[in-house]
Amino acid sequence: MKEKLYKKEITLTIVFSVILLLMGHSASIFVLFPSLQQGTLWGFPVQYIVPILLGWFGIAGVCLIMTIVCNKFDDEMEEYVNSLPPETETDSESVNE
Amino acid sequence: MPAEYALSNVWVGLSVVAVLFVIFYYVGYVSSRKTTSDEDFYAAGFSIGPVTNGLGMAATWASLATFLGVIALILKLQVPFVYLWIQWAISIPLLTLLYGTSLRRMKAFTPATFIKQRYGKPATIVIVCWMILIMVMYALGQMIGLGRAFELLFGVPYNTAIVVAGLATVGFITVGGMYGASYNAAFQMVVMTVAMIVPMGAIMKAMGSSGWWFPPLAYGDMVPEMVKAIPTFFDMKYDFRWYFALIPAFTLGPVALPHLAMKVFTSSSVKSARWAVVWFALFLGLLFSGTYVVGFTGNFFTATTGRIIEKADQTILILNVFYNPTLVAAFVMGGAVAAGLSTIGGNLMAIAGLVGSDLLGIIAPDMDSSKKMKWGYAALAMGGLLAILMAFKPPKFLVTSILWAFGLLATTATPAILLGVWWKEANKLALIISSLFCGFLYILISPHVIPSVVIGKGLVAALGMSGGMVTIPLSFAMFIILSIAFNRMAMFKSFAPTLVDKKVIDRIHGWGTDYEESRYNGVTVPVIISIVCLGIFFWGLVPWT
Repeated sequence: MKEKLYKKEITLTIVFSVILLLMGHSASIFVLFPSLQQGTLWGFPVQYIVPILLGWFGIAGVCLIMTIVCNKFDDEMEEYVNSLPPETETDSESVNE
Repeated sequence: MPAEYALSNVWVGLSVVAVLFVIFYYVGYVSSRKTTSDEDFYAAGFSIGPVTNGLGMAATWASLATFLGVIALILKLQVPFVYLWIQWAISIPLLTLLYGTSLRRMKAFTPATFIKQRYGKPATIVIVCWMILIMVMYALGQMIGLGRAFELLFGVPYNTAIVVAGLATVGFITVGGMYGASYNAAFQMVVMTVAMIVPMGAIMKAMGSSGWWFPPLAYGDMVPEMVKAIPTFFDMKYDFRWYFALIPAFTLGPVALPHLAMKVFTSSSVKSARWAVVWFALFLGLLFSGTYVVGFTGNFFTATTGRIIEKADQTILILNVFYNPTLVAAFVMGGAVAAGLSTIGGNLMAIAGLVGSDLLGIIAPDMDSSKKMKWGYAALAMGGLLAILMAFKPPKFLVTSILWAFGLLATTATPAILLGVWWKEANKLALIISSLFCGFLYILISPHVIPSVVIGKGLVAALGMSGGMVTIPLSFAMFIILSIAFNRMAMFKSFAPTLVDKKVIDRIHGWGTDYEESRYNGVTVPVIISIVCLGIFFWGLVPWT
């Protein structure tokens, strides 16, 4: 159980970090692949409006999913911690080492 | 023909700002009655709800520059500066994900509270000093901007403006503590957003745009005329490395900003902190998109009317004076003032936390809560007065662009926090050495100290992008490699993380009493990270064109 929770925590952190970076730095993709700099959306060149939209609604959407997923993960973690036996005196002593 | 900002009736401007200050003082006064302990003073009693906190986070992040400096730089650099600005919206979400909720779980007042528990006193002093330096640079920049805004608004001399505006500002921030800073920041964000966006609708309508009903995203019909007037406006202009260099300097720097982290810590719970981030992203996106449309419209204005905006940082004000009634123009100025005040509030609270709680906690660890709170008030007022005094004749090295200081923070503090939270092997001595060495190296290779010893040139060097691409990955790599080495050398045994230090890590990740030595304790991944960092370091050394 705890190994699964640990792996899940690391995975969630890496995945959301990468997605957030992509949302905030999507302009780099248009520099890396100049062929994407074609066409318009709502009258704007795509390389202008897409980074603005991703930097606003994209980030907000990722944050929403991140909040729901991470809060659910916290519940699982809390459930695991609550299932542990209460802290013994020896445990408390070892914290003070 | 040059266009200038001048209110036709100064009393209208004075009235708008006076009304705003009355509200700020009222909020500060009400908040002061709720402040009875150091938890109340530094963290608003860990009680701020998600919507208020989201607004407060956005207001604290969006400084006076959002109204003045950014628009000037969009006018100068055009679209690349918009890209630079967009990525700032991920700072607080990343901060919250990577360490904010963990530190909220331990009820930290500032990131340095964690540094003290994790690395001990000497390392804390190093990190706190870097953070205070950057917060003073930040607050000083806002204070100077505020003085200039008052000078512009009321036509009073700069020195008088700085005394009046400075004292009035420091007064309500000191009275309110973190409760006041949080509630005032939420209100200031509403004022800023309305002042930025609503008047732009009228301006766009006057310019003939059919998108006046939603200025942030509906100005597409102005694009053809803009491209005709300025064909290069939408060009991305720079190579991939320029865009990549935004990550180390401008994404990783703000992640460690104490005044942003402190907003996360004020949340009523870990879950509430995450919800606050959702609101933050929505509110900040709206305000930032307003900034982009002002930058676009400023360029459009100069290109299509033939008028020149000589003082580019006054673009939003000039547009409003030109197209809107005096009362609206004065309200926009009030919005700019609110933007400056919310950031100064955050900066001064961070200085108070770093001095009154973290440094004092080292000198007098047994001080009781009420005394700590009193010292917090004193540190807050002293920090504010110091910023006012320095703003009269600011030391040149401190008025370097705050954007440059983000690179310094990413070099000195970000590795300490991120590796401290996620890696048990992070070593105290390795932190001190890498933070000091790379921090001073960053200062040395900037164009602001010895212009002949510099990495990069022009704007990338001045903003710290090229310097940061060298020192930030070097700092991470040095910290990791030295930690692995020192932890295995008997002579450095006293600097190795103890079991207590390691238990802090498991606990702040939510494991409670369940401790596992192997958790957050690998070597392979940190070594891979340090190799990648060294690759970026060498890439940063390649001459910048």
